[in-house]
Amino acid sequence: MAAEVQPLPLVKLPSGPSPVTPEQRYWRSFKNQKSHTSTATWPISHISFPAQTGAVLSNSMVAATKLNDLFAVTSGPRVDIFSIRKRELLKTIGRFDSEAHSGEIRADGRVLVAGEDSGKMQVFDVGGGTRAVILKTWHIHKQPVWVTKWSPTELTTLMSCSDDKTVRLWDLPSNNPSHTFTGHSDYVRSGAFIPGGNSNMLVTGSYDETVRVWDARTPGGSVFTFKHKDPIEEVLPLPGGTTLLAASGNTISVLDLVAAKPLRLITNHQKTVTSLSLASNGKRVVSGSLDGHVKVFETSNWNVVFGSKYPSPILSLSVIAAGAAQEDRHLAVGMQSGVLAIRTKLSGAAAEKARERAAIEAAIGTSALDKIDARNAKRKRAAVSNKNMDMLGENVDVIIPTSDTGSRKKKLKPWQRNYKDGFYAACLDEVIDMSGPEYQPLVALTVLVALRHRSALREALEGRDEVSIIPLLKWVSKYIVDPRYLSICVDVSFHLYDLYSEHVAGNSELAELFQALLGKVSRAASKAQAAIEVAGMLETLTLGNN
Amino acid sequence: MRSKSDTNGDTASLKKRKREPKDDSAQSQQKKHRRKTKQEKADALNGQGADQTSHTNDTNLQPINGHSGLSGVSSQSQWKVQPPMGGRMLNIDPIFSPDEKFLIITYNTSIQVFSIESSLPIRRIPIPLTETDDENATTPAHIVSTSLSKTEGGYIWVACSDGRIWNINWRLGTGSDTPFTITSSNLVDMSVDAIDLPNSKIDVLLILQKTASSSSQIFAYTRESLLEGKGEGLLLHSFDESPQMLRFAASGRLVVAAAKTALHIGHLKASKITSIDTLKFDFHSFDLPDIISSLDVRPVLKDKKLIRADVVVGCARGAIYLYNDVLSGIAERTLQPRKLHWHRRVVHSVKLSRDGNYLISGGAETVLVLWQIDAGRTETLPHLSATIENITISPRGSSYAVHLDDNSTMVLSTAEMKPTMYVSGIQSLVLEETPSKESLVRRVWRSADEISAPVVATSNPRNPSQMFLCVGNGQQATQGAGTTVSAPLVQVFDLASFQGVAKHAIARTNATKANITRDGVPIMEPTATSLSFSQDGKWLASIDEWQPPERDTAAFLTGSKTIAEAARQRKEIYLKFWEVHEDNSLELVTRVNEAHHTDLPQAIFDVASDPVSSRFATIGNDGVVRFWSTQYRMRDGLAVKGHDGEPLRSWYCSRAVTLPVREKQEDIVEETRKVFHSGAVAYSEDGSILFAAYRVSTEGLVVAIDTQTGTIRDVVSGIIRGEVRSIQSMGSCLILLSEDIAVYDTVSDELLYSYKLKDTSCAAKRLAQLAVNHQSRTFALVAPVPHPRQDKLKKGARSELTVFSLEDQEPQLVQSFPHLITSVLAAPGSSGFVVVDSAAQIWAVTDAVEQPVILKSMDDLNMDDTAETQPVQDALVLQDEEISDEEMEDADQMEVDDDDHAAVVAQQHVVQTFNVAPTFAFAPLDGSFSVMAAMWSAKPAYSE
Repeated sequence: MAAEVQPLPLVKLPSGPSPVTPEQRYWRSFKNQKSHTSTATWPISHISFPAQTGAVLSNSMVAATKLNDLFAVTSGPRVDIFSIRKRELLKTIGRFDSEAHSGEIRADGRVLVAGEDSGKMQVFDVGGGTRAVILKTWHIHKQPVWVTKWSPTELTTLMSCSDDKTVRLWDLPSNNPSHTFTGHSDYVRSGAFIPGGNSNMLVTGSYDETVRVWDARTPGGSVFTFKHKDPIEEVLPLPGGTTLLAASGNTISVLDLVAAKPLRLITNHQKTVTSLSLASNGKRVVSGSLDGHVKVFETSNWNVVFGSKYPSPILSLSVIAAGAAQEDRHLAVGMQSGVLAIRTKLSGAAAEKARERAAIEAAIGTSALDKIDARNAKRKRAAVSNKNMDMLGENVDVIIPTSDTGSRKKKLKPWQRNYKDGFYAACLDEVIDMSGPEYQPLVALTVLVALRHRSALREALEGRDEVSIIPLLKWVSKYIVDPRYLSICVDVSFHLYDLYSEHVAGNSELAELFQALLGKVSRAASKAQAAIEVAGMLETLTLGNN
Repeated sequence: MRSKSDTNGDTASLKKRKREPKDDSAQSQQKKHRRKTKQEKADALNGQGADQTSHTNDTNLQPINGHSGLSGVSSQSQWKVQPPMGGRMLNIDPIFSPDEKFLIITYNTSIQVFSIESSLPIRRIPIPLTETDDENATTPAHIVSTSLSKTEGGYIWVACSDGRIWNINWRLGTGSDTPFTITSSNLVDMSVDAIDLPNSKIDVLLILQKTASSSSQIFAYTRESLLEGKGEGLLLHSFDESPQMLRFAASGRLVVAAAKTALHIGHLKASKITSIDTLKFDFHSFDLPDIISSLDVRPVLKDKKLIRADVVVGCARGAIYLYNDVLSGIAERTLQPRKLHWHRRVVHSVKLSRDGNYLISGGAETVLVLWQIDAGRTETLPHLSATIENITISPRGSSYAVHLDDNSTMVLSTAEMKPTMYVSGIQSLVLEETPSKESLVRRVWRSADEISAPVVATSNPRNPSQMFLCVGNGQQATQGAGTTVSAPLVQVFDLASFQGVAKHAIARTNATKANITRDGVPIMEPTATSLSFSQDGKWLASIDEWQPPERDTAAFLTGSKTIAEAARQRKEIYLKFWEVHEDNSLELVTRVNEAHHTDLPQAIFDVASDPVSSRFATIGNDGVVRFWSTQYRMRDGLAVKGHDGEPLRSWYCSRAVTLPVREKQEDIVEETRKVFHSGAVAYSEDGSILFAAYRVSTEGLVVAIDTQTGTIRDVVSGIIRGEVRSIQSMGSCLILLSEDIAVYDTVSDELLYSYKLKDTSCAAKRLAQLAVNHQSRTFALVAPVPHPRQDKLKKGARSELTVFSLEDQEPQLVQSFPHLITSVLAAPGSSGFVVVDSAAQIWAVTDAVEQPVILKSMDDLNMDDTAETQPVQDALVLQDEEISDEEMEDADQMEVDDDDHAAVVAQQHVVQTFNVAPTFAFAPLDGSFSVMAAMWSAKPAYSE
């Protein structure tokens, strides 16, 4: 029945408009930019990485994760293959007669397909030596092939879209397309498999300003057509398979296949939107535009949650996910200027290491370095002893720990201990020490407010000497201008005045500090005076209106 | 019994208001109101009201129905007041039954028996205390001591301060109506022990009584001498000090009496007692350095001889003095106590363990301290919920019963210090009969001895049997510093099971911190001033206030500012919105620091909840009505989700409406700010209009605000007199409580009727309360009636409840209550009202026409009539199976096959069965009986 002792909870100040949202923090953590300029600064037209799907994973999990370390960047007549882990160029495929388009690596990471301006489509072996082996060539399209994509579920199926207004489905071993979809009346510049459709459903966008949905099981024309105002640059089906995004001019339209209607028109970009990519496991969509902006949208209400600007028009982008959980790893943006910018989010151990390094760099030359060393040494010792513990357990099945480490009480900080034991002056000294390593103004405020609640503020301020008043005065001078701290600072300064005013005359440092406090307060007071004047002026204005 | 109202229907606390139509023509925008002028009757009659009603008592309260000779009161209105339930545990040691299966707790108006196994009440034995109550006595008769009979375990002795002694069979609940009377008017303590006579063993009662201003006598009585009715007992000892406590131990061989600062120890002269008349003691006395606040004796008997007695005394300044072997110490004049000092304040209770190796003590520090006497070490069980009042060690020594100041008692197992039983009664502001032990010493503070504000209470719409009351950490902490009340907790009290279910902190508490400052002043906690549930019961709005005590603000004076102003400047007023989860836990969703403010934080007068949607409205001292709505918390257009993935909500002010201030005369110098004195808000029943009543400067106004647009639809003046206490809306009518109770029809725009509150002292006005029952279209007005010779609401003050129907201007019921009423609530889901009084009792006021009311108090439950003749064990087996089911009066007819396995019925199932409605609005009895019968008659699956 005894109540549980809780540590003193921090004062909760009014939140106000938050300067940084968690979403912004997340996307800002993509840093460590690495730029790679393509040969002869060809514009980067396409970036892709093999989507990891359930079908492939079940085949050979280990091989897939190992091989899924690649992403392909298409620029001019070349396709560059990069390593996701190292962000390094591994291989360049340059065996194109003309400008290449849409270099895509298959989900198992073994082969790559790309189209080109001549209308050829080629399949290359990704592995092997530096010179890529052409495994297959189709030359059925008579106009540039702009889209070549692997089916997410069937390893041998792929699609293509061409300026000859056709969309075709291919089977890898055969020489002729298994399906040819006609219906577009202009160049087809974008297309994708609709997920969940067993490679039967395609969506394509064309310069005839339509988005068409095709079904291989339905002969004839498209099963669905959405007419837009501007040519379609990019289509992107969302993971559920019922919602499509289409970039048309400087807008992005959200299309619902089930309700057969557009849900929303996103008009956040100034210029033509050139690329769309899924991120965060399909919970976010990233768009890139010729205006050089990258915007991140959430997928329920399509609000922008983050944006950033690149120096050149963006032609392609991709949020490259990796790992078993398919976490966002890189934000790769390809630009008109031929620059591929890769920003990376550090995860887990790597992030920890980076923090450690930053801390050491900051600590060099100060005493804090010793502390870091000591902490590292302690960690190392703990690791060794843990290892010894494991050794002990070689011949036993279960080791029962001697003490329940999980529920062990958190050690109180010195100020918390002092507060609990009623040594309020000592507690206050600790929390207002602005040079301390764990100094937080909010903790100081919390303690001061708690002391006021406990009628112990005066008790904590009483009986001090010159040395111990100085930090208090400095703290008050610093925070008295902050409206959230004002009330408590006023109380503290009243008490200090009441208790120590007679000693000021004899101590020049103390007098100086009180002088500084006076200066701060009078400046703030004059500002407040100005505000009052404005308020008075506005009041007469509103009175007149009534 | 005399009628409690005169022929005009005027009551003690109300008088009919004569109203002259005021000339409102000057105010063109205001409406004129046709008022019914009422003939004011002779006020002389009213003056007797309080006296007429003061003869009532707990048990035979009778409602006045129909007001004989009154026209207009419908004869079918049958309002009834049910006998009270609950009460406050007195500062008397709880008693373990000899078999440790039951705990007998003394309440202020009853004795209650609880099962230790299930924590459920078994029986409530009301003690008719007020029967001989003299209306001139400012300290009414109260129970001073309860003691288990040492010869018959089924009986207890109960002593009352006015000299009545009851011998009650707690197993059957008999004996409460036939007290013995002794000629004493100032009984202080009683102690009972059994004495071995040559052929029998009899109970001897020692009585400590105060005779003159400071002299005391100890008398001995036996059952026989009480029966003879001689009145005079055998005088054993007398001394010229004011008496405190008395202990009779060691089979009648040892008497220890405590005066204020001295102990009197009596040792039996003869080695054998042949008759009661030969009982004689040798008394020795010695002084203690401090005022005695608690006492315990541990005799050691060997071969029926007293060989040693240890006495331990707790003192008012925190010291405990332990006298080992006090008898030889006295004989050899080497009496030297051991001083143990841990407590900062009064030791409320100290006890020696059975083996004498441990001391256990407790006090206002809310810490149970266990002393190992030999090692001198202490162990503590800290942070109990309130001041420890009493500690009892069970007969086998395996558990402690600890009575706390928050009207709760728990039984702790000595081995693990874990509670095995917990009984929590309703917490209310209480006027104690006896001063607290804290007041033995003069302190820098004085605790309040009056009640100046009602206990904020509301009922949960989702679970109508649950009352939510704003309470503090025990009575002493609540009224600690005198001027303000600290009530940072909400007690959830279940009327169906009649148990405190939970307590939630809705503001900062000192539960786990020191509760006094270095200077010894209690640290005040915030006071919750309002509670309001949203209509669906999912949200709770609360207001709490705190301001620094004035002694802290002495350093902040500048210019002409007074200390009170400096303190007010630092006032913290929080409006909090809580999400109420299914399990009744509260989660803070939004805290608004200064919901109403000018340059200073301003008080929030009232909060009202919309009866159709989840909205609230508040009215504040700044003359603004604010509407509060909820929304999902959005960030970048995304709903913010909590840890469980649920979207988070927050509350925001959706609209602020500045209340109009009527410009009075032009020549009055414009005030910088109109002073709003008081206010109240109420939604109309369809939620479309918010009515705000307020008093600004010298005038009371009622404003109707459209909740959709925020426009002011109507301003009504002239129906409020004095400070606004409450406004309620029912149908087209408004019920306003100020210095009048007025019913105003908003459609026909006329005042239907109004009464004037008779007592207009400040405290009385603040304690006047209004409750509206929308189901029966009635409202109840509670007005305090101060004691004739006191102006404040102290001990002896009473309250009067008046029930009105909307249609009828004559009261349906006028009822005087023997204590102050601290809260009144409409009973949800029923047509009645629930009343909580300053004796922590709950009364149900019901309309008998509506439904047959079932409030079987526990004493109606017959346990087993044959208990007396049967062996005790068998009787208790039966009792176990009919656990405390107050409704189940047929339980004794249930066949219990001794050979069979008892059905396994989880306690919560039983509670659930009765949780459906308040006790007094209970569903048909047969239904619950069959549910209960099914529970127990079903054979457990695993039985053979």
